[in-house]
Amino acid sequence: MSMTQQVSDAALIKRLNALEAKARDSQRTIDELRARDALKTQFLSNISHDLRTPLAAIITHAEILRDGMLGELNQKQRESVTGIVNGGQQLLDMIDEILTYVRSASDKVNLVPSEFSIAELVDQVRVLNQSLAAKKHITVERLNGDDLPPIYADRDKIKHALGNLIGNAIKFTADGGRVWISFSRRGQDESELLVEVGDTGRGIARDHYELVFREFAQVDASPSRPHHGTGLGLAIARRFIELHRGCIWVESELGKGSRFFFTLPLNAARE
Amino acid sequence: MPSRILIVEDSPLVTDAFSILFRESGYDVDIAATVAQAVEVATARPADLILLDISLPDGDGLEVLEQLRERNALPRATLAMTGHGDSRSRQKCLDAGCAEVLLKPVAISELLRQIEHHLA
Repeated sequence: MSMTQQVSDAALIKRLNALEAKARDSQRTIDELRARDALKTQFLSNISHDLRTPLAAIITHAEILRDGMLGELNQKQRESVTGIVNGGQQLLDMIDEILTYVRSASDKVNLVPSEFSIAELVDQVRVLNQSLAAKKHITVERLNGDDLPPIYADRDKIKHALGNLIGNAIKFTADGGRVWISFSRRGQDESELLVEVGDTGRGIARDHYELVFREFAQVDASPSRPHHGTGLGLAIARRFIELHRGCIWVESELGKGSRFFFTLPLNAARE
Repeated sequence: MPSRILIVEDSPLVTDAFSILFRESGYDVDIAATVAQAVEVATARPADLILLDISLPDGDGLEVLEQLRERNALPRATLAMTGHGDSRSRQKCLDAGCAEVLLKPVAISELLRQIEHHLA
């Protein structure tokens, strides 16, 4: 074997060893990042849970005062205590949304499917949002769906997704506007259900069609933005719909309103 | 004689608030923070109604009902309280014999209405 041959073999082996070391380093970095991500998720879950208990106690105490159980309040006192209850409730809703997101983002989400009428579910969600809609004089209508066959899906998760879509539609629509829900069937053999949640609100620019579904993203992220929230509602809705092998998207025009769509398989296999 | 409510919940912040609420509404109140304590208190002094948190430091709150059933010391009604409202955990509570499953935090008007209804 020539001298040059020996040198080049040694150089190759050296290079191979260096590459292997680099691969090991990369793997270690990936493992570390995964572990940190899991830790972050666990931390978010724990902290959200631990925030809930004292907050629940604050709300209960404030309700006891507000309802005059410890003596009648004058109007100013009652307004102030009502502010504590409402503020606490809003904070609690946000914590719950974070908890739902953390749970939905973990790999171990299980679907618990059952058979139910999606039209009835939409009506329940409409009732839940009635007071907010009434306050803004917004009508929330279901346009059709009485004749749909029952769907087989995780009712709690579809309800949550619908709640976030309908809640958002009301939130981002000006007083006196309109929100509607309608159904149609599409795909081969009409095997897919298409659900539309539309509104006459401020609309979303085309550049932001994707952004709105990203977690923690809000189109207006400035501290002075008019609508506060966790920025998780649509990310959760997307996660829940995709778990059902459905798709979710938005079509919108600024100033005219938005139409959110999602699909669900109509004849999902029963286990 | 006023009805007796046993609050089973491990956070003193929450039991403090509920104690005020129930005493002001004319009920007698007992408090337990663990499964073991709840069984002990309810056996010594039977409650008319138990307000039961499902996650307790020493186990599943529903074990309280199981042990009280063996001791023939079940209350007239048990209202379960849970942090998450998925239908599976709800059904588990109903199957274990709870009359109602309430999502924490419960609005006090709703809580008092439920208690009154189940003690009527």
